[in-house]
Amino acid sequence: MDKFKEIIRQYPFLGFIIAFIILMLVPSVFFTDLYQSHLASLICINIIVAAGLNIVKGYCGQVTVGHVGIYAVGSYTAGCMFLYLGSGLWTTLPAAILIAGLFGVAFAIPSFRLEGPYLALATLGGGEAIRLFIENGDFFMSTYGISNIPQPIIFGVPFDTPDKYYYIAMPVMLIAVYFSFSVLRSSVGRAFMAVREDPISAAASGINVKKHKMLAFVLSAMFAGGAGAVYAHLPPGYIHPNNYTVIEMVTFLAMVVFGGLGHIWGGIIGAIIITIVYDLTRPLYEYQLFIFGLTIVLTILFMPKGIGGFIDKYFIDRRFKTKTGAATK
Amino acid sequence: MLLKIKKLMKAFGGLKAINKVDFELPANEIRGIIGPNGSGKSTFFNLVSGVYEPDPGSYIEFDGKDITNEPPHKVGELGLARTFQLLRLYQDMSVINNVMSGYHTLVPYSFIDAVTGRKKIWDQEKVIKEEMMELLSFVGLADYAELNASELSGGQRRLLVLARAIAGKPKLLMLDEPAAGLSPVNVDNLMKILMRLKEKYGLTLIIIEHILKVVMDTCSKVTVLDHGEKIAEGTPTQIKDDNAVIEAYLGKKMDDEEMRKALDV
Repeated sequence: MDKFKEIIRQYPFLGFIIAFIILMLVPSVFFTDLYQSHLASLICINIIVAAGLNIVKGYCGQVTVGHVGIYAVGSYTAGCMFLYLGSGLWTTLPAAILIAGLFGVAFAIPSFRLEGPYLALATLGGGEAIRLFIENGDFFMSTYGISNIPQPIIFGVPFDTPDKYYYIAMPVMLIAVYFSFSVLRSSVGRAFMAVREDPISAAASGINVKKHKMLAFVLSAMFAGGAGAVYAHLPPGYIHPNNYTVIEMVTFLAMVVFGGLGHIWGGIIGAIIITIVYDLTRPLYEYQLFIFGLTIVLTILFMPKGIGGFIDKYFIDRRFKTKTGAATK
Repeated sequence: MLLKIKKLMKAFGGLKAINKVDFELPANEIRGIIGPNGSGKSTFFNLVSGVYEPDPGSYIEFDGKDITNEPPHKVGELGLARTFQLLRLYQDMSVINNVMSGYHTLVPYSFIDAVTGRKKIWDQEKVIKEEMMELLSFVGLADYAELNASELSGGQRRLLVLARAIAGKPKLLMLDEPAAGLSPVNVDNLMKILMRLKEKYGLTLIIIEHILKVVMDTCSKVTVLDHGEKIAEGTPTQIKDDNAVIEAYLGKKMDDEEMRKALDV
């Protein structure tokens, strides 16, 4: 088992190919109806957003509450490109990633001077402004929403049902997760953490604080934009400004906090669990926000590093025990 | 000269924290900086390392380059490392990550390499990690590599800060009270490690310290600051007998006449 771990660590790409094969087989083994496929696609999309959010919030420590605005930018880039240019996913996805990246630059600028709750307020305003701009713009079909956004056709096979669309969303998710892992495990990820822990000390070590804040924002914006585009094309291909409110932002935040802020698996674990819980609690619609708010509060109180940190602590303590024969604390 | 400073000035409002200080430091020297509280020692460090911007008219040259108005990360990149009085450790990062982030400027691969996650990166990361583990075992923290920095004891934290500053292979290392709060035994231990590190990496050191024994034992030359001005410079024995220094630390020696005058007012 250790040998296997070592090989995966050496060739991370191999790990993702294995994950790809397993995830390809999941629907045929476990799924019994279309709705489960739809849910799986949603999980994939949420994983992309949460992985991105984990970069900027978990690793770089910049509290952003405007990510849902960038997610909306991704979706509406895809929607509008379909509406006015008739483009499909393969052109809208790169375009959405690019434009979301530009919005990431805009969101990064306040972080040079603002910190903590003040930054949260600024980004909250930014995200909400984007939604209101879309809601009131005829160019974006305002409150009618954009409908009938088409699904891609590969080799003449249309991926227009939820069970097929899963095979589009899942590889996109894997590529995004691969990128996030690569970045976070490299020196750039370490620099992000250093900026989070102590910007002055980081600068003394030769880390350009502004540059890394900018990188974190742009990267995570690209993730959100890509996820937005994949969401726009999700059957039945309908987007509406109401899908991008603060409520969605709270859900995304709950994913990252519950999964583990600053843990490499944090966003992924959180996205899977919260999306499923969100779905199971649909009958209790009026209590849903209450449940997620409570989840965030309880997690921060009793499990400040989320599930990821909980597992981590267990493993690290064990490693330490075997080395010196003593437990920490 | 490794570090050349001319007419360094910094005023906070009306208070002249540093007032026209000239300073020169050749390579491979150990320089002590002493002075009473509030004499501008830490401000001096912050100005040199770029944390504060010096007032116009100041000039700082490091290793032949003008660094007067450079931002701190540029100064760090050029090979000037420093530690902080309040340590400023990355509390929520593992010990090994603390040290590895000190290596940041020397990392051989680019950002694009990092995003695409090529195999070459993991090989290089492995080399960096081994090198940093060696440094950690040198300061005696190898067993704690996977622990969070916040779980270390006070003395271990001081060692970790030292290791983090040295990880970037600096030419000049500025230490802001490296031994503050340590017991005498630990002070000796820290100083022993520091001297071994100096030998191994060929460092030039500037040390701010209140424990005079440390300064007197290790420094080849001492600079004394008081109220933002340089009042003395010389070998430790010269400094010990310098009237201006004694005055700054203990107050002026008065004869009876002067004493009576002072009390009358």
